[in-house]
Amino acid sequence: MAFVKKEITHARPAPLSERSVIGWMHKHLFSSFYNSILTIVTLYIIYITTKGLWVWGIADAVWIAESRRECFDISIDGACWAGVIAWMDNIFYGRYPKDELWRVNVGILLLIVWMLPLWLPRVKGKIFIAITLISFYPFLANYIFLGGESSFFSQFMVSAAIVSFVVIMLNAIIGVIQGQSISTFIATRLGSSLKSEKSQRNLNLALLIITFIIAFLWQQSWVLGEVPWTKWGGLFLTLVISGIGIATALPGGIILALGRRSKLPVIKVLSTTFIEVFRSVPLITVLFMATTMFPLFLPEGFVLNKLAQVIIAVCLFNAAYMAETVRGGLQTIPKGQYEGAHTIGLGYWGTMGLIVMPQALKNMIPNIVGNFISILKGTTLVSIIGLFDILGMLSSVSRDLSWIGLHKEPLLFGAMIFFILCALMSKYSRHLEAKLSTNRKT
Amino acid sequence: MKLTTFFTSVAAVTGILVGGMTTASAESTLEIVKKRDHLRCQIGKPSPGFYTIDAKGDWDGFYVANCQAIAAAIFGDKSKVKYQSVGSQVRFTALANGESDLLSQSATMTMSRDSQLGLDFLQTNFYDGQGFMVRKDSGITSALQLKGAKVCVKTGSTSELNLADFSRKHNLKISAVTFEDFNVRDETYVKGGCDALTNDKSSLAANSAAFPKPKDHLILPETLSKEPLGLVVRQGDSDWANLVRWSLNAMVNAEELGVNSQNVDEMRKSDNPSIRRLLGVEGNLHDGIGLDKDWAYNIIKQIGNYGENYERYLGNGEKALGITRAGTLNALWTNGGLLYSPPMR
Repeated sequence: MAFVKKEITHARPAPLSERSVIGWMHKHLFSSFYNSILTIVTLYIIYITTKGLWVWGIADAVWIAESRRECFDISIDGACWAGVIAWMDNIFYGRYPKDELWRVNVGILLLIVWMLPLWLPRVKGKIFIAITLISFYPFLANYIFLGGESSFFSQFMVSAAIVSFVVIMLNAIIGVIQGQSISTFIATRLGSSLKSEKSQRNLNLALLIITFIIAFLWQQSWVLGEVPWTKWGGLFLTLVISGIGIATALPGGIILALGRRSKLPVIKVLSTTFIEVFRSVPLITVLFMATTMFPLFLPEGFVLNKLAQVIIAVCLFNAAYMAETVRGGLQTIPKGQYEGAHTIGLGYWGTMGLIVMPQALKNMIPNIVGNFISILKGTTLVSIIGLFDILGMLSSVSRDLSWIGLHKEPLLFGAMIFFILCALMSKYSRHLEAKLSTNRKT
Repeated sequence: MKLTTFFTSVAAVTGILVGGMTTASAESTLEIVKKRDHLRCQIGKPSPGFYTIDAKGDWDGFYVANCQAIAAAIFGDKSKVKYQSVGSQVRFTALANGESDLLSQSATMTMSRDSQLGLDFLQTNFYDGQGFMVRKDSGITSALQLKGAKVCVKTGSTSELNLADFSRKHNLKISAVTFEDFNVRDETYVKGGCDALTNDKSSLAANSAAFPKPKDHLILPETLSKEPLGLVVRQGDSDWANLVRWSLNAMVNAEELGVNSQNVDEMRKSDNPSIRRLLGVEGNLHDGIGLDKDWAYNIIKQIGNYGENYERYLGNGEKALGITRAGTLNALWTNGGLLYSPPMR
């Protein structure tokens, strides 16, 4: 019978109008008369903007010069990037002594290395990493950045930070190679000689104490000259302030949001008042009150650390904003989840910590990251009250006599730095969303 | 404008509060400063010539040198200063609340500021005044020719008000083009967006260095306003005010007597009684302000006299703004200027 085809008919490629470049252009750019006009106008605008930027910023730009006058002599219409290059250290580190810049780099590098295991899937004990990071790293960073005489307490915390860092690094290496946590690794290596859990715990403790003593003795030999905070500045200062702000905003916001939804009237009223007061006042006013008005209420001659005041103000302000984001997230959780938690016998903290928060936080990721980005950008307000953060440094370039009036190039450079930082944050948030998304996708 | 008004009223309230508190306190500013072992000096946002951050990150400038002079007088070491750099909106509050020991910023002394903020304006050490800058090829040589002109001016500043007064007084119908940022203002002027630019003359001179062709521009002779700039301290501690006032006087006096940082050591052997008293070789001028015999010697040795300071930052020095001093109000009284130190005896 010849009615049935013997061989399989292969699928034909899509018509040319669907897959060729011309077809795509016809469909997306020139589908109608008006769309064609729009496309041409837009292309023209893109062309002149890019061309202008190219000619000003790259083709006619001056990269090597001693002063703005020299830039003008070389090219009168081009950008003068030489000024930005000359000020690079100031833009990144502020007035931090130039011989000590390695300290800032080491401090930031330590933070990155400390956090790295958090992203490695095979590493165990991530909660430990996060807790030590929040409780010990700030003391270590504080000592590295500030230097000078340190108290016994701070030496103690610095040693604790060193010990945790060593443990985390070993744990991460063992995790990647063996897929075990460090304590299991030690236990299996020693084999049957240590059977009971108790003796294993004692051994771990002994190891920790020995490392601690070594670390304590080692850190006593450190000699770091004092760099007062007044010398901090640039991107470094921006990252310090916004980093602390970001690290405290979420926990603070969660506590405040739970407080606001609490059934206990005192906690509820206090949280609500705090949130509403801070949310109804602009950040610059909070900063101004904290740095300029607050000292009035203190005894005379008692001068606080302005940086600390600013950081506290930024933290309180952002915690209040974050609280409302968290509250919004809590409201997306249906009542059935609470009831379900109660039926399996969970109390308040169990319900919140195991059932509600994990779901709510996942829903809130875009908002939380949005908040983080606005913290980073909002920090530039501190340049108004006399701290030289990155914006303060960028605008100081135009007042250096060698580079006088040079304001577009530094600000453009600053915009690029902010764009990179914010884009990274938002990219990471999308990655996190995709990773955490369950099949409840809509 | 509103923000500025708010900050000024805050400063006034602060001044009153602090004024009440200082009378109760036992410790003088000098004792506090000595105990702290450094001076807290408030300067302005970076501005060429007056206070600048160089590419190494250090503060320098005319008003920064004033802070250093006070530190040299107190500690014999000009580096014992910590600077606070704040904008003009909060400067008076940041002095009144005790954050800083003195304000060394280009703050114009006016009656209302001196009498209402709880602050003392010490005598002027830089006389500025508002002027106009025009392009040379416009053919304008006097501000009175600016009829119907468009003038670029910074918003919210006294320059804007002075411009309006000047225009009304001479019936010039000047239209002001206002800007928030002085870089944008200057660029608009250079690109031909305005016929003239107005600001304090020292700033005009400083900013024109940023123009592609500074020689094509000209500062007109007329001066619209009086801008006496000097150091400011909190009211209520006259001893501290005396110390600051006489430290600055010592610099002016030194110039008048021909003492400078180069020859100060030789000058100690001078027979001139005025010089001997100034440098602490004889007499006991230092007793009254509670400092060492060498206080003025240290200022002159480490910073220099007024003229040296002027030339280094504002005059014709290598890194200076290039504002010629001769013939202006900032010349010594012996040269027809206004700088005049009362006798030190």
